[in-house]
Amino acid sequence: MKTRWLSLAAAVAVVLAAGCKEKDEAGEAGAGGRLFGVTYQTMNNPFFVDLNAGMKQVVEAHGDRLITLDAQWNSLKQRNDISDLILQDASGVFINPVNWEGIKGSLLQAKRKQVPCIVVDAPVKDMNLVVCQVASDNVEAGRLAARALAKVCRPAKVVVLHRSVNKACIDRVAGFKEELAKYSDMEILDIQEGKGTTEGARPVMRDLLGRFPEINAVFPINDPSALGAISALESAGKLKDVTVVTVDGSAEGIAAIKAGKLLSTSAQFPKEIGRIAAEKMYDHLEGKPVEKDIKVPVKLITEENADQFLTER
Amino acid sequence: MRTAKQLLPLLIAMAALLLLFGLWVPNFLHHENMLDLVQQISVNAIMAFGMTLVILIGGIDLSVGALLALVGTTTVYVLTRGGADAQSLSWMVLAILAGLCVAGGFGTFNGLCAAKTKMPPFIITLAMMLVARGAALRYNQGRPMHIPDHQTVFLALGNGRLFGAVPVPVVVMLVIFFLAAILLHRTRFGQHLYAIGGNREAARFTGIPIVRNEILVYVICSTLAGIAGLVHTSQLYSAEPASGVMFELNAIAASVVGGTSFTGGRGTMYGTLIGAILIGILDKGLNQAGIHFSSQYIVKGLVILSAVYLDVRRR
Repeated sequence: MKTRWLSLAAAVAVVLAAGCKEKDEAGEAGAGGRLFGVTYQTMNNPFFVDLNAGMKQVVEAHGDRLITLDAQWNSLKQRNDISDLILQDASGVFINPVNWEGIKGSLLQAKRKQVPCIVVDAPVKDMNLVVCQVASDNVEAGRLAARALAKVCRPAKVVVLHRSVNKACIDRVAGFKEELAKYSDMEILDIQEGKGTTEGARPVMRDLLGRFPEINAVFPINDPSALGAISALESAGKLKDVTVVTVDGSAEGIAAIKAGKLLSTSAQFPKEIGRIAAEKMYDHLEGKPVEKDIKVPVKLITEENADQFLTER
Repeated sequence: MRTAKQLLPLLIAMAALLLLFGLWVPNFLHHENMLDLVQQISVNAIMAFGMTLVILIGGIDLSVGALLALVGTTTVYVLTRGGADAQSLSWMVLAILAGLCVAGGFGTFNGLCAAKTKMPPFIITLAMMLVARGAALRYNQGRPMHIPDHQTVFLALGNGRLFGAVPVPVVVMLVIFFLAAILLHRTRFGQHLYAIGGNREAARFTGIPIVRNEILVYVICSTLAGIAGLVHTSQLYSAEPASGVMFELNAIAASVVGGTSFTGGRGTMYGTLIGAILIGILDKGLNQAGIHFSSQYIVKGLVILSAVYLDVRRR
């Protein structure tokens, strides 16, 4: 009987100890400041870790506090997390939705309590319920890739490795096609599903090479699938005849550029997305008008500026 | 009286946590925040009531999280078919029944395998978790399925408020709690479950129909997971084939923190309800206190560990 009580007391003490320690840390940043919250579909991705760092910088510079929550791909947890933030009188909430429809209940609750919401990276279905959306300019990322290709590879016979369930990828391909249409001697032979992963893109690229021996350019929609395409081209001994352009700006992509295997990658700036989202929140709170759809510029990275980009980041 | 004595430490822990967060987080004990707390735990609690019955007879059901997604997707699939008929209330009832039948089917299969074969329930339900998840992901290529706005009754299941005050999920949870508590603590069926969990062989010799009871327990557990799935789907305004991952572990945690013994034969519905509330208080309190999510996992893990330690020390 006695041990039972002791263990319970111990459990409570653990919570207390862990809590107090954290509170001290958080307290230094912004005692008395306003509270903001952000919920990500997952924190198991460097993209969101960087995005969060950019957001946090701005919020703490204002003397306010940012609570970062990880939904772990769980819509119910995200819903509960947002409700906790709202009931804690958060001045604003940033949302990276797990389920772009499922978030509706949370957005309605925020609206009832007059808590402004800003969506980062991925859209929500009910855009009228949020202040604005901040995401990479994926259309421009596609255009940049096409332009880089047009400089070195004409006439061009191109194949695209798509990931058609993802809105960002749809935009990238749309921009790529739009730019390519300006050149009469560049044509897209086929668009296939590369799944956005290295292991997904590799076999698809190999099949395409078999079907179209004349291929001399590839647009895989992100760095991982570009690496898959490059690996397939290398094993077929065709890498020197085929130019690869992509979108992302990951460390692996840059390494491939420096090795001369990849022509370009249109880099995204997650930290910048976070910073801009936070600034737009402050603009909105001050009553300034905020644009609904904010596109964060992307940057073309080639062999020339690869080293510079790595140090800037 | 015996139950009251068992529950006392849990109630004290709950009071202590409420006091702690009440002092720490401004407005934590505000009635609106407390109502939101009960609303937040409702899906987990509904699943945990069923899980308690299964654990009580020495089993486990890992398939409930995936089943929650499958019932949601099946129901919305039926709900959005049928053309003009689909507007009617009876069609909605049909859709819900279709979803719950799927749940009942999985429950029957789990129960039959557990009772009639020597396969351990852990493995049976682990396999059925994969089957249910795969089946759910077949709908709409794994993407969320929209619930049309005119389905107001179905949407009210997760988002409405009874008399404009009590969230419907809370009402559903309380009704299920009372039914489950009566079933476990006031019927012969309930007594049989304790007997089976306490000593299976002895229960067999006293003539308790083990096979029938075991199947029934798995069916109840799956059906409750299905009901949780309906509430969850309505809350999300869409059926999400990928939802419910790890929900089974949350349900198990609520049950075990509430004093259900993992080896069977011990546990109450009251305990499970308090267990779910305790976890809910922790989740909400740590969130609202602004604790980093990484520390939250550690604290939650340690609390569950201490609860199980208690359970072991009791013997």
